[in-house]
Amino acid sequence: MRETMSRRHFLTTTGIFILVGQAASTVGPSPSWGAAAKVGEPAPDFTAPSTKGTPVSLDAYKGKVVVLEWTNHECPYVRKHYESGNMQALQREATGQGVIWLTLISSAKGEQGFVSAAQADELTTTRKAAPTAVLLDEKGSVGHLYGATNTPHMYVVDKTGMLVYAGAIDDRPTTRRSDVQGANNYVRAALDSVATGQPVKTPVTRAYGCTVKYS
Amino acid sequence: MTVCPLAAALLLGLLVNGLLPASASAAAPLRVDASKRGTPRVTVSLISDAVSIEPGSIFWVGLRQRIASGWHTYWINPGDSGEPPSIEWKLPEGFVAGAIVWPRPEHLPVGPFMSFGYEREVVLPIQMTAPASLAVGTGVTLRGHASWLVCEKICIPEEADIALSLPVAAGPPAPSTTAPAVEQARRLVPTPSPWTASLSATPETVSIRIAAPDLAAEQIAGAWFFPMRWGVIDHAASQTVAVDRRGITLRAARGQLPQGTASDVDGVLVIQERLDQGLVTQAFTIRATVAGAATGSSLTLAGAIGLAIAGGLILNLMPCVLPVLSIKAIALLTHGQSSPSVVRRHGLAYTVGVLASFGVLAVVLIGLRAGGAEIGWGFQLQAPLVVTALAYVLFALALSLSGLLVIGARLTGVGHGLASRPGYSGTFFTGALATVAATPCTAPFMGVALGFAMTQPPLVALIVFEALGLGLALPFLALSLAPTWRHFLPKPGRWMERLRQVLALPLYGSVAWLVWVVSRQTGPEGATLVLAGLALIALAAWLHHGTRAVSRRWRRAAVALALGCVGAAIALGPMAASSASSAAAAPPRGARWEPFTPERLAELRARGTPVFINATAAWCITCLVNERVALHSPAVAEAFARKGVVYLKADWTRKSPKIAALLESFGRSGVPLYVVYGKNAGDQQVLPQVLSERTLIEAVDSL
Repeated sequence: MRETMSRRHFLTTTGIFILVGQAASTVGPSPSWGAAAKVGEPAPDFTAPSTKGTPVSLDAYKGKVVVLEWTNHECPYVRKHYESGNMQALQREATGQGVIWLTLISSAKGEQGFVSAAQADELTTTRKAAPTAVLLDEKGSVGHLYGATNTPHMYVVDKTGMLVYAGAIDDRPTTRRSDVQGANNYVRAALDSVATGQPVKTPVTRAYGCTVKYS
Repeated sequence: MTVCPLAAALLLGLLVNGLLPASASAAAPLRVDASKRGTPRVTVSLISDAVSIEPGSIFWVGLRQRIASGWHTYWINPGDSGEPPSIEWKLPEGFVAGAIVWPRPEHLPVGPFMSFGYEREVVLPIQMTAPASLAVGTGVTLRGHASWLVCEKICIPEEADIALSLPVAAGPPAPSTTAPAVEQARRLVPTPSPWTASLSATPETVSIRIAAPDLAAEQIAGAWFFPMRWGVIDHAASQTVAVDRRGITLRAARGQLPQGTASDVDGVLVIQERLDQGLVTQAFTIRATVAGAATGSSLTLAGAIGLAIAGGLILNLMPCVLPVLSIKAIALLTHGQSSPSVVRRHGLAYTVGVLASFGVLAVVLIGLRAGGAEIGWGFQLQAPLVVTALAYVLFALALSLSGLLVIGARLTGVGHGLASRPGYSGTFFTGALATVAATPCTAPFMGVALGFAMTQPPLVALIVFEALGLGLALPFLALSLAPTWRHFLPKPGRWMERLRQVLALPLYGSVAWLVWVVSRQTGPEGATLVLAGLALIALAAWLHHGTRAVSRRWRRAAVALALGCVGAAIALGPMAASSASSAAAAPPRGARWEPFTPERLAELRARGTPVFINATAAWCITCLVNERVALHSPAVAEAFARKGVVYLKADWTRKSPKIAALLESFGRSGVPLYVVYGKNAGDQQVLPQVLSERTLIEAVDSL
């Protein structure tokens, strides 16, 4: 049988609860994302189904450099990089050097950019893209985990699993194809830095593009 | 006739071709032969505020975007996604176009994201300069190619050619039909903020503190900060707003860019104010300067300690501290026959006194900051009461050095106290006194070290403070520990008396400076009260000192009176602190005004003089914006002078009943209230609460 709380004990406990409540309420406004991915920290692990039907995990690629590309084939900014061949060339360059390239689609069903596995594979063929795998993140859980806000949104993970770059593909935030030529490509620069063992010069940039069409 | 059907066919063909709109795809630029062109989601046009261009003049044009319902375009910082509109100009020779001046944005939430931009319709003002070499009577066409991103849930980049044709005419041009739209757009452009803003950041949140005293929390319905750059704050996260007597504090979750808060942040502060007639939105551009030293992050603890010690050493040379220190050193010198160990112990007692006082100061400062006050070193000088007390203490000390007061013999080393017994406690209090005297002064390096200390946890801050104290105590400590120096100093003599009197002078200077600080904080009334307090202290000093040789009874009476004077001086302190605070009132530009009284108004009305009444209050933000935007312009002053209008200002900051009666007579319960009275009785016009220069000038001109 539980002994009744002494008045002092009760008051103390209440006081503690009040204090904790006050402390909690003084914690400022919470960020809207709560994204776990932060540059300079280990990239959070995830598992997502690929277009081939098999689940793909980030941890499986430990020991390799991984590039994450959030995409939406109908977004004018994504189209700028695909129609100019820029993204495909970058993918070939990277995978040629042993980098794992994962293209992720976090559009929800019915939203712009949502495709079935078959449609995604067809897009890869017709666009002559060269990712290692295309992952379908219909529920947007991987997107939320990484705080992916735009398409294209690029992340680079180094061999030790550390996130070393997050942000835009380059420094020309427009839809004009002519802006691909001469732009400073942040992903290429990050991959070069990782390959030579140097720190990435601009680790965080503002990703430009359409918003990811989460549900 | 066979020609007629052919002609008719030709005519019809031409007509049909003319009526069919040119086929437009989203990306194809359109030929321009009219001023309006657009695409289904946004119709853009270039509008001007005048019907003609004067050669050599500066005029405003606007890019008007009429946006389809549900869609939006973007501000200069589009937020989480988007792209602001841009214009590539193709202007005639000599014309210079400025950058787009952005009206205040709206929040555009899309799912979990937040963008900043415009819906329905927006006019983006651009300032144009016309060359002086324009020929009057000709026409010019300003051309450009505008491109923008318009989004609903999906985004479409659009572009179009824009053009505006205007004749060139001499003289100031008349306003065009689109002038109100351009002026309205310029009214929506944020005005430079009258307040200073500072920024501080933790790994999770960013706080922006706007120093706006006298704001009334119940007037403010909401406040938001729109940064000019990405990465500073999380755009989609909610911002908490707190309004207190010192100003507004906005807190938001931190953005993605780690160095986003390392440098000053520019942005727009939007405040929604509750007025009589509903909610009014005002926007200001602010630059939030990073609180604390910019070198805070790159400074190590060792570096900060080094800087603090250096700062403390230099502090010894400051006019506040040097006299105190010198007197003590001289006192030590005169009693050079004391054993070295006694001198050493004096040195240690002094050091302990200084360190203890700095510890107390540090604890107070850290405690206040933990309680949320955004203060730094020098905080003690922000409270008029503390400044007054410091002024009194330093004044008494100066009087003592001047020989007009002989108290605290142990403190100043004057008299026999030191010779008779060690008096370590006296030396301890000298150390405390040196600290107190040092508080009004700052030395180089101190700022950097203390700025660093403010950003650190309490224990580290305490260590830096104690290092500062050590620097302050070091010279005296060194002197006390090294006995050989005494051989180099001249023998005690009359020069010491002279030196003491000379050293009183920097102290008087410090007192003068402190009185100036009080005057800045509480106005001339407060300064006068402090000066009266100082006079009372001088009187008390004379009473105490000058009656030494008088009979006992008179002596006691004199001492009692002296204490009474001191008490009165102390009582004056709080009075000075609470006197009318006219904190750095900017000299009023524009028209000269008189304070409003009902009698003055009646007198002017009886004489048939036109009157303009501005009912305002220090806590009314809309009043402040109206004053800057409309009332303080030279054109308004000139219009008042032209029509002989007398400007009466009714300051309702202290809620006087006469002004309340005025407001009530117009059916209002709050400010602002703008009324223009004409020459004839009953000829009065109430102006809108959101005032523009044009409205005011038109109202005055119509008198």
